[in-house]
Amino acid sequence: MRQQALSLAVYGLSTAIGLAAFLYPFWLPAVPTPAIMGQAHSQDAPLLLSLLVGLCFVVLLLEVQGQAVSAKLMALLGILVAINSVLRFVEVAIPGPGGFSPVFFLIITTGYVYGGRFGFLMGALTLLVSAMITGGAGPWLPFQMFTAGWVGLSAPLCRPTVWLLQGEGRQREVLVLAAFGGLWGLIYGAIMNIWFWPYASGPVEHYWAPGVALVETLKRYALFYVTTSLVWDALRSTGNVLLILAAGLPTLRALRRFKRRFAFDYRPVFDTAPTGSRRNG
Amino acid sequence: MIHPVAWLAWLGAVLTALSLTRNPFYLALILLWISLVAAWSRPTAGTAPIPISPLRFGLVVVTFSALFNMLTVHFGDTVLFRLSEVLPLVGGDFTLEALAFGGLNGLVVSGLFAAFSLVNRLLPVRALVRLLPRAFYPVAVVASIAVTFVPAMLRHFEQIREAQAVRGHRLRGLKDWLPLVMPLLIGGLERALQLAEAMTARGFASADRPANEIRIRLGMVAGMLLLLGGWLLRLAWRQEGLGLVLLLAGAGLILGMLWQVGRRVPRTVYRPEPWRLEDWGVAISAAAVAAAFLFYLPGLDRSTIFFYPYPALTKPRFDAGMALVTAALLVPVLRQARRPRPVATQPADKRASGHFTGEPGLPGSYLMEASDDQL
Repeated sequence: MRQQALSLAVYGLSTAIGLAAFLYPFWLPAVPTPAIMGQAHSQDAPLLLSLLVGLCFVVLLLEVQGQAVSAKLMALLGILVAINSVLRFVEVAIPGPGGFSPVFFLIITTGYVYGGRFGFLMGALTLLVSAMITGGAGPWLPFQMFTAGWVGLSAPLCRPTVWLLQGEGRQREVLVLAAFGGLWGLIYGAIMNIWFWPYASGPVEHYWAPGVALVETLKRYALFYVTTSLVWDALRSTGNVLLILAAGLPTLRALRRFKRRFAFDYRPVFDTAPTGSRRNG
Repeated sequence: MIHPVAWLAWLGAVLTALSLTRNPFYLALILLWISLVAAWSRPTAGTAPIPISPLRFGLVVVTFSALFNMLTVHFGDTVLFRLSEVLPLVGGDFTLEALAFGGLNGLVVSGLFAAFSLVNRLLPVRALVRLLPRAFYPVAVVASIAVTFVPAMLRHFEQIREAQAVRGHRLRGLKDWLPLVMPLLIGGLERALQLAEAMTARGFASADRPANEIRIRLGMVAGMLLLLGGWLLRLAWRQEGLGLVLLLAGAGLILGMLWQVGRRVPRTVYRPEPWRLEDWGVAISAAAVAAAFLFYLPGLDRSTIFFYPYPALTKPRFDAGMALVTAALLVPVLRQARRPRPVATQPADKRASGHFTGEPGLPGSYLMEASDDQL
């Protein structure tokens, strides 16, 4: 009971702080500030933001990894992450259109079938490993891992809808997942842009006025989003939808089959009998 | 080769300096030092090639960010031209100041990109996996399994493609990827089962590792609350000092807990990376750069790092002392230029794509590195 409450607190707090840190350019202008806001202050914000997101991610990862200590899960995760990194590698070698990336397909389907924590690890580790392999590590990596982790963590949210539609194993299930993937394709891009946003936006005090600030910031962000990434993200989103529609059913079937095959349990048998009675042949 | 931890310190210094300053002189100097280090160091065998060249990335980002800032921020005294206010958001004065500020921000981002792609090019994948903190032992094992199996999976993918091509398979549409990807997935899951059995047979499953204790988790929650409190104090109520103290306390608590968890995982290293005198040099000079940008030190005019083009563009101030300090980022070059350290790792792997140093097959050596007590 206490364990669960603590676990919930860790998930809740880290997600809340992460979200607040991600979204701070939007709510910061709404906070009344004195006219002489130190220049130093507005400039160390991105650094502080990266540190906050990094620390929250550390806590969340430590909590989630507690679930993945069995050999079975480690092996399964390791290989699935390898497959996903290969898909990303193929994508780097033969670039798809725009932001299209095949990695979300497996993150969503495994999160959906094997549970949110598995999905979180799958998302975060796929990004980590493929960044190591393709040389794409940078200050944006914690943001990417966090967001891709969220994609996997939230995938089980599709289950109630599928259950309501009674669609398990049918095309309807794939349709729900495809819609989910399409949505995340757009949200992922919007969230990842925020990493860059503090650098692209000017200092907040220039357009600050009571009540107008949030609207103004949102407007500018909308323009930024439309000019930089809408097309890119739309392609990623469409790619997710098409991939899930094309390969969803067979993949779900395979994952479920292996879920049953992986359901064995290993229990070490300790020989409690005195050593003298052991038959040594 | 410089020790990975020393490289991390160098990266930290670059990150700190770049994100704090907007002074074009210092930005240009730091970018110059990064490109000199990049020019003098040769890529390590077994690292990935860079997909985008930092120069091209920088050009695109600086141009874009300058134009975007000019389009959307209509502030500043030097008006270049104006568009009718009827246009939403874009309409208004286009100022030189906004253009300059956007360009400077673009410089910061391209500097970050250049520094990270340099280090990515120099550190082999193994060294990166080894950098994961000890507390993340399960994550490190999963990552090393993945890194080890990537070449095998790539080969597997090639085999499947050839086998399907022999049968007349052509890639025409999205549906045609199915016969390629499904065997890869199912074969991979099959392998995972084998690997799990092999690991279990070696006693991996017998270690029953309890979930994190209550004390650790309480510490984590308290640390996050402190972080949140400190951040809000700084942002909303302008309590700079108290906020900073709370932030530091929270970060310290979380890192301390991480250290506590990690202490319980003994790690032995198969082939230790020696920490040499030169590594001290890199680390200390990096610390000096970070300190000069973070604190007011005697003899240095730290206030010059804050440059602000609004409301009217002025000539940025320049402090020779600060400029000299940034040159400490060049220390890795001294090491690289003196004599090439014989590559301590294995000979370059020409298999598969040539980007990986991991041996395919069972990740024996990685597991040994990750933790000996499990085997």
